[in-house]
Amino acid sequence: MRNEDVIPTFTVALVGTPNSGKSTLFNTLTGLHQKIANYPGVTIEPSIGSFYYNSIRFNLIDLPGTYSLAAKSIDEEYTTKFIKGELSPQQPKPDCIVLVIDGTKLEKGLFLYTYLQEYNVPIIIAITMIDSIKAAGSVFDDVTLERLLSTPVVGVVGSKGLGIDTLKEQLVSNVGSTESTNPKLSNVENIEERVAWSNNVMQQVIANNHPNVTSERIDKIVLHPKLGLILFTFILAIFFQSIFSWAEPVMNLIEELVALLQGSIDSIVQNGVLHDFISNGIISGVGSVVIFLPQIIILTLLVSILEDSGYLARAAFLVDRIMGIFGLQGRSFIPLLGSFACAIPGIMSARIIPSYKDRLITILIAPLMTCSARLPVYTLLIAAFIPDISFYGFISLQVVVLAMLYTIGLLSGLIIALVLKKTKFRSDITPFLLEFPPYRFPTLKNISISIWIRTKDFLTTAGTIILSMSVMLWVLTEFPKTEAPIGTNPETAQMVQLENSFAGMIGKTIQPVFAPIGFDWKITISVLGSFAARETFISFMGQIYSTKDDTEHQPLRQVLKTSISLPTALSILIFYVFALQCMSTIAIIKRETQSWKWSAFAFAYTFVLAYVGSFCTYHLAIWFCS
Amino acid sequence: MINIFNLTLGATAKVVEFPTNSQFIERLKEFGLIPGTVFTLVRRAPLGGPIEIKFGESRLALRSDTNDLIYVEPVLH
Repeated sequence: MRNEDVIPTFTVALVGTPNSGKSTLFNTLTGLHQKIANYPGVTIEPSIGSFYYNSIRFNLIDLPGTYSLAAKSIDEEYTTKFIKGELSPQQPKPDCIVLVIDGTKLEKGLFLYTYLQEYNVPIIIAITMIDSIKAAGSVFDDVTLERLLSTPVVGVVGSKGLGIDTLKEQLVSNVGSTESTNPKLSNVENIEERVAWSNNVMQQVIANNHPNVTSERIDKIVLHPKLGLILFTFILAIFFQSIFSWAEPVMNLIEELVALLQGSIDSIVQNGVLHDFISNGIISGVGSVVIFLPQIIILTLLVSILEDSGYLARAAFLVDRIMGIFGLQGRSFIPLLGSFACAIPGIMSARIIPSYKDRLITILIAPLMTCSARLPVYTLLIAAFIPDISFYGFISLQVVVLAMLYTIGLLSGLIIALVLKKTKFRSDITPFLLEFPPYRFPTLKNISISIWIRTKDFLTTAGTIILSMSVMLWVLTEFPKTEAPIGTNPETAQMVQLENSFAGMIGKTIQPVFAPIGFDWKITISVLGSFAARETFISFMGQIYSTKDDTEHQPLRQVLKTSISLPTALSILIFYVFALQCMSTIAIIKRETQSWKWSAFAFAYTFVLAYVGSFCTYHLAIWFCS
Repeated sequence: MINIFNLTLGATAKVVEFPTNSQFIERLKEFGLIPGTVFTLVRRAPLGGPIEIKFGESRLALRSDTNDLIYVEPVLH
């Protein structure tokens, strides 16, 4: 029977202004049956989902929030193209549009309606926030609205599921209709006419309008010049603290699990190469993907709370001036702050920046923020080379150097942002414009869905790139196989292996490139090898330098002190401040910008900074020491 | 007729004209800020940051680099 696979299927576009409750409605309708849409060459990735009603399948697309369809921004262009069916050959014109309107901002939604009604697609209007309008004592006359527009109007409360069945009924009866049911508006063409029409309709529909003053009362404190900044600093501190402290125990657990799995493989698989492939190729490769999940989940959680509650717009308002100095916008502080923990979740959270160019700049400078993976490298080299002395009894020189490394990263990132902004990335809509949404309680459902979607997307897109890169790196460091003489200790054997592997050969070949910045072939190989993750630099250095005297196990820091010079140590430090020594970051930049070009650009410019920075540091240090 | 950024805090004013036209001005109009709209300057962000204006149910923040783009006339109560 063919009947079963011919379920009638219709495409429904969900359109609305930002903060209209569109995503909540989308989540209510589709639940977990959604994913991030991905058309080749298109940078906007709305969610698509599906649901069944009356044996009809509805494919729902959550188009980006937009105020008009005048196609000024890429969001509007995307929405316009989608409605015209010009976005992608695989994606025909939608069968119906659901226009989501925040009832407390009816005129904004009606304004958007004046554009939508031009496209010959049936429209259903879903009014959200019906409960807050009634709570405020206003009267909303949906019958008049329906009559004035000749368009079905349904009141919904997405979070409570009210009006959802009525909306579905309306969808069933409207998608089938071939001719548009919406008569065109006449004499509504320029912006002024559209605004006037919207205001006029609104006045006929809403009576006894009481503005919602709760948000304005809260803003007296939240946006207060002094109190607001104090609150902001406080929230930022909690935010920062939780990415670090909540994620760490889980990350340690993942590392232990990986070690446990590798241990259990030892007893099952005896074959050398197969064992190595499973243990060091596959298991540690998967581990290197999964290790990012705790931070991604926590950052997505925190960002969703900030965004859904309405605080994010306020925070952006407060810090806009400071970010503006560097050509960034208020919202950029979230991804940049997150990148101090790890650039992966940080870069993913750059999606909260509406302007594509501002988002791209933020993504490109995020790797310069000092992530936690650099810290082990810093602390080891500082402990080995910077004398443990204090000025005035309490300012430790070691801490000063550490703080300097953080500052150099941050400042150079901000300067690069300014340069990019002034050259290639003039913003789409230059002056800063921000609308304050009313404060709302974030719902558990919305937050958990966004965590689920982001996690799934990370594992399936960036995760697969990271996994294949780590397997590739494993091949480069493990082949060709070198047999160490019997009786050699395992660390030495590993070192001999690394030295003779492809990575070792590459390291030795390109070593002359790194000679001017004071790297010998051992450091060069360690730097190359730590491309999987920066902190592995230490274990590589440990392996390499344990060869000299493995009779007595000195701490690595002692060994380093005698094996490398101070100028070289400083040069390594500066190299790690700048260099994008992290394949996972390269993978996530590719994912978020949809192009390897930007990954290559980020890698190249940070490498130039790293090389020049290390060169200057190395030669200055030699000059000072002599 | 004065520049919007020269208004005092808490002042009520009416939009008179936008001397230039740009995507930004179009966007402002789409928000409902057309000539003739009466609004209130609610607050300024710290350190010379954006200003917040309110008209009807809309609350907008404008950056100070929008200087010379919006001319207004104070409305006396």
